[in-house]
Amino acid sequence: MIIFSKVNKWYGEYQALVDVNAEVKKGEVVVVCGPSGSGKSTLIRTVNRLEDIQGGQILYNGHDVYGVDSNLNTLRSRVGFVFQNFNLFPHMSVLDNITLAPTKLKGLNASYVKTKALELLDMVGMSHKANAYPNQLSGGQQQRVAIARALAMEPPAMLFDEPTSALDPEMVGEVLSVMKSLAKEGMTMMCVTHEMNFAREVADKVWFMDAGRILEVAEPETFFQNPTHPRAQSFISDIRA
Amino acid sequence: MSQFTQGLEKVLQGDYLDIILRGIKMTLELAALSWLLAMVIALSLVVIRLTNHKVAVAAVAGYVSYHRNIPTLVQLMLWYFGISSLFPYELQMWLVDQNAEFIFAAIALGLCQAAYFSEDIRSGMRAISSGQTEAARALGFGYLRSMRYIILPQGIRNALPSLINHTILLFKNTSLAMAIGVVELTYATREVENYTFLTFQSYLVCTLVYLFFSLLLMFCGAIFAKKLNKVYAR
Ligand SMILES: Nc1ncnc2c1ncn2[C@@H]1O[C@H](COP(=O)(O)OP(=O)(O)OP(=O)(O)O)[C@@H](O)[C@H]1O
Ligand SMILES: [Mg+2]
Repeated sequence: MIIFSKVNKWYGEYQALVDVNAEVKKGEVVVVCGPSGSGKSTLIRTVNRLEDIQGGQILYNGHDVYGVDSNLNTLRSRVGFVFQNFNLFPHMSVLDNITLAPTKLKGLNASYVKTKALELLDMVGMSHKANAYPNQLSGGQQQRVAIARALAMEPPAMLFDEPTSALDPEMVGEVLSVMKSLAKEGMTMMCVTHEMNFAREVADKVWFMDAGRILEVAEPETFFQNPTHPRAQSFISDIRA
Repeated sequence: MSQFTQGLEKVLQGDYLDIILRGIKMTLELAALSWLLAMVIALSLVVIRLTNHKVAVAAVAGYVSYHRNIPTLVQLMLWYFGISSLFPYELQMWLVDQNAEFIFAAIALGLCQAAYFSEDIRSGMRAISSGQTEAARALGFGYLRSMRYIILPQGIRNALPSLINHTILLFKNTSLAMAIGVVELTYATREVENYTFLTFQSYLVCTLVYLFFSLLLMFCGAIFAKKLNKVYAR
């Protein structure tokens, strides 16, 4: 579903991604972890070209993301992306946040889109707030709406960049449980997160990154019990501590 | 006192009242047209500037600083007496038939006000977090559509207080158009004064009319802002 081959990226002189080769298979849940500044956000943001790459290739659902023929906006509309800071549109109701892209970009019928949006809100447990505005919601509620907004475009895969890092601890659970149920339904997911319990329970693979490289790809059990790379070992003993 | 009220009555009836009412109508028309023109240009300037294209940014910055640093009166004169003379003869003749002074006043005031409006909106947009643009882009909205549906509506909301102030300024500035012969309220008032020699009464009426409309604008603006804020409940 998402294939990184020899991906290299520089911010000026600084190389943020170094020869990244990896694959997220259809229906897989991949958790990307690693110390701060290791390039996790950079990597996940290259998939929908929020960041450009300078070398290598990324295939998303069979499309060459950086190919000359790929239509950027169409590509992006097929990638579900969830941000750390939710980034809901504050001037629109919850419902309008969700229906905006399907109506304006896909030109779908308004009442159909609305019905679907209400189903999605129901799924994330937010249908009672359909007419509320984002700043009337808690962080956890906003993030659940943001997930519904991304799902409304019916993307074949969902990307999460630290979806719970901006949340108060008591709200982390509600967002993770929405993500878990998505995973259960077979959604392909790539998640940057520090929630190691989520990784343990839900992930099919854990990618460990450091200094712009993927140093280890393993099943969560193996990764947490017997990490092979020394950096991964120290990372895990750090989070245990 | 009775002499004063008699004067006031005289100004407020018959032909004189008629002149003043026509002046008010002209002022409102001029304000409305130049406001519309200013808003359209301002929005275009904002969108052009946000492309971050070097030439585009420089052009917009030049436009803004030109219009903010030249007195509006001079710009009115320049358009009416200067730029119009560069037009082909037929167009000049046609414009004369079409109430040229009104058209040029609207253009000059609109262009000038656009500079202020665009700066208002731009600073309103600066307050929007970059996450908004990213979210819009990530959903697949291109540049123009993310502007239209996501960025501009928020920018305008943030800019509302200064837009209202500048709208009132524009309304008052329509009085400058008398210098090129537009018979708006101030011009009309001077005419009434010339006929009646009732200087104080004439300008009192004029003052109250301006005050009324300025306050009305402020009031409507406040209601509009309140409505928006309720919607966005911060
Ligand atoms: N726009 C940028 N310009 C220059 N350097 C950048 C830019 N964005 C990120 N970097 C650098 O690239 C490296 C990787 O950043 P990235 O945000 O991908 O890290 P991360 O793994 O997501 O970290 P965190 O866990 O703190 O979110 C960091 O060293 C960072 O300083
Ligand atoms: Mg990050």
